[in-house]
Amino acid sequence: MSNAPDSRNGTGRIIIDAQHIGFRYRTGPSAETETTGRAATAASPATGTLANASSGASANVPAALDDVTLTVRNGEFVVLCGQSGCGKTTFTRLLNGLTPAFHTGDLTGSCTVYGLRSGQAAIEEYAAVVGSVFQNPKTQYFNALVADELAFPCENAGWEPSAIRERVREVAESFGIAHLLDRSIFQLSGGQKQRIAVAAACMLRPRLLVLDEPTSNLDRQAMADLNAMLSHIKASNVTIVVAEHRLAWCADLADRYVLFESGHIMLDCPSDRFRSMPEHQREQWGLRALDLSASHAAVRQRVTAAPQPRNGITAAATTIGPQLRPDATSPVIATRGLTVGYRDARPFGRLRRPNPGHERFSRTIPDLSLYAGRIVGLMGHNGVGKTTLVRTLVGLAKPLAGNVLRHGETASSAELTRHGFLVMQDVNYQLFADSVRGELLLSTPYRNEFDAPEDILQTADRILADLDLAGLADRHPMSLSGGQKQRTAIASALMCDKELIVLDEPTSGLDLCHMRQVGALLRDLADRGKAVLVVTHDEELAAEWCDTVVLL
Amino acid sequence: MTGIITTRGTAGTPATTATGGAASSGGVAAVGTIETATTAGTAGARARRLRLDPRTKLFLLLEANLLLFCHVDTRTEALLTGFFLLLLFLSGRIRAGVRFALIYAVLLALSLIEPPTHGTGAWLAIFPMLAVGIRMLLPCLITGAFAFTTTTPGEFTAALRRMRIPEAVIIPCIVVIRFFPTLREDYRHIRNAMALRGIPSGGRSLLRHPAQSLEYIIVPLLMNATTVAQDLSVAALTKGLGNPGRHTSMTDIRIGLLDWAVMALCALPLILFLAGSL
Repeated sequence: MSNAPDSRNGTGRIIIDAQHIGFRYRTGPSAETETTGRAATAASPATGTLANASSGASANVPAALDDVTLTVRNGEFVVLCGQSGCGKTTFTRLLNGLTPAFHTGDLTGSCTVYGLRSGQAAIEEYAAVVGSVFQNPKTQYFNALVADELAFPCENAGWEPSAIRERVREVAESFGIAHLLDRSIFQLSGGQKQRIAVAAACMLRPRLLVLDEPTSNLDRQAMADLNAMLSHIKASNVTIVVAEHRLAWCADLADRYVLFESGHIMLDCPSDRFRSMPEHQREQWGLRALDLSASHAAVRQRVTAAPQPRNGITAAATTIGPQLRPDATSPVIATRGLTVGYRDARPFGRLRRPNPGHERFSRTIPDLSLYAGRIVGLMGHNGVGKTTLVRTLVGLAKPLAGNVLRHGETASSAELTRHGFLVMQDVNYQLFADSVRGELLLSTPYRNEFDAPEDILQTADRILADLDLAGLADRHPMSLSGGQKQRTAIASALMCDKELIVLDEPTSGLDLCHMRQVGALLRDLADRGKAVLVVTHDEELAAEWCDTVVLL
Repeated sequence: MTGIITTRGTAGTPATTATGGAASSGGVAAVGTIETATTAGTAGARARRLRLDPRTKLFLLLEANLLLFCHVDTRTEALLTGFFLLLLFLSGRIRAGVRFALIYAVLLALSLIEPPTHGTGAWLAIFPMLAVGIRMLLPCLITGAFAFTTTTPGEFTAALRRMRIPEAVIIPCIVVIRFFPTLREDYRHIRNAMALRGIPSGGRSLLRHPAQSLEYIIVPLLMNATTVAQDLSVAALTKGLGNPGRHTSMTDIRIGLLDWAVMALCALPLILFLAGSL
């Protein structure tokens, strides 16, 4: 085993002991996907058909875990990997007591964590020894202020106020987040929020830290920060279990990899053996790359825009490969001397003297051009202005300076909104109708299926078929999986014949297979003559599918 | 587009406060502004500022509601409003203080005008009437703004815990504070999504097809709220929220001499009025 340091600490004690675990959610098949926002519904071509559990008689509620036996020793760093819906999230829930107490279901076998037996110990008992970090940075803090959030576990445990203050200071200092203590969490970036979440999980000095896809919304830098935090925690001999698709960020910390597939453990091996496996083997398992340097290099190669915005210089880089430049066609969207941002929006802001230097955020963007049939990736750190730029390009925000050209002519925000579409990271906001077909018709002047003429209905059905949604036309959009919702939103954009389709982080939290499905969809959109802009932190997506990359 | 949204956001804050104050539960409405308070508080140096115990603030809020309830005379009301405004200034909420003072002064002046009681101008009497009505609500709004913009959520929960309020009440309060900014954010996203789909979402469409427009906004809002609620429950449970034992608060709060003095000073005019009117 590669975890020699641990045995040197004299702590080789087994602390997680799972024996022949079987688990089946009682609430329905979507239980696994509720928090992760997607489902492994589409048949996974990359993997074999071991999924007999999901195709059997009880197809309604497939077993989330089936005969899982796993022991973890004190101080180990274990990475649980596997495709969406493979059972790794369910396993982490067993470790922090959420299953079967909160996510109810039928549990067989026995799982003991520090002597706490699943199904018998209450979640509160787990809270004292297990710290948990979840996927979505936006919804895992309970208090509005950072300090309150850190204090929260201690307050619940009934610590003395002075002891809590002492501990908050100690933890904040050791993780380098002391400067954030009196900030409102709402204003932090996703990466900062996730650091607060890890810090809060460490407040009660847990012996085990469980992280469920903690990086799915994070950029490269934030992942590096998280890596530093976890190596710090690991050094203090805390056992760490991470369920992840993205393997690269914690590859140096992992002692052991456990591969789940359809509720079974397929592979359980020390990290050096896992690392020595050939890349195509990992791809076959649907895992993301262990080493991102190849993708990183490929992305760098495609970057054509200058990394620093050159203030005032207009004719800067354009983002198109020379071989494909269609001389006749002008770019669908181009920017000239664009500055994006937003003004300080505070109550009664209108009544204050206009102060040109008082924008709360502004950024000058190097000129860029988006052509029909091209996929352009937009990358850069959190908070660099990607979202604001994208909102400006689809007319949801007004530029602070400069202008956006549509087919070579200056376009108003309203015009940009009419011809552009943004697939939001959280597609739930974008679905309004009560059926998938209705969702498409909502984009037409007819609004619903009863008024729409036959040809419109046919167009809608053709688009649905193209996007692999034909069988779902009458389903309620909210009952779909994350990927299906995403495709429904895109279908609605195709229905109103938008020229520019922007996707905001379409692959966050997706495994390799689903990421490639999204990539293929992007290509399909481009082939239909759309200009596609994809905002992403996902270097694998950018390397494989984007024609050019703009780095802000 | 941003312009419109911004305008809406700014108009929203005072409006909600107004309705809440009228229902003599300034708390509910003012919660919406609590995070603005904390951010403003952290931005500036909070060096020499008046810091009162949250319970004192709640007492003042209660007293302001009593003013309305007991129908005090204009003099007592003006005096107490002056006190409340002074507290607002001392705790560093200068801008809000000036604004409230101006509004109060205008309303006071308006309500002192004697309109003609008959003849062609008699309808003008509606202005002093309105002015009196709104003016009487102002003390509630001022104390509400004072209480909830100068208190951090931590102090607030500490006060509730100290007052032996059961956790079953406190936890929903924390969740409300947590949820308001989320809802505002969600609403903004939904309005954007509607604009992209060409679904009219402005005030005019709300008037023309109220049910339809509300459905488009409320359904995604609720759908999202349920997932957020589930994630929040999970986060809170794994941090031991369900602990049956005593919960403590990191923030120490204490009713000091200053608190008693402020409470006495503000209670005195009301008591004198009530004694005189009995």
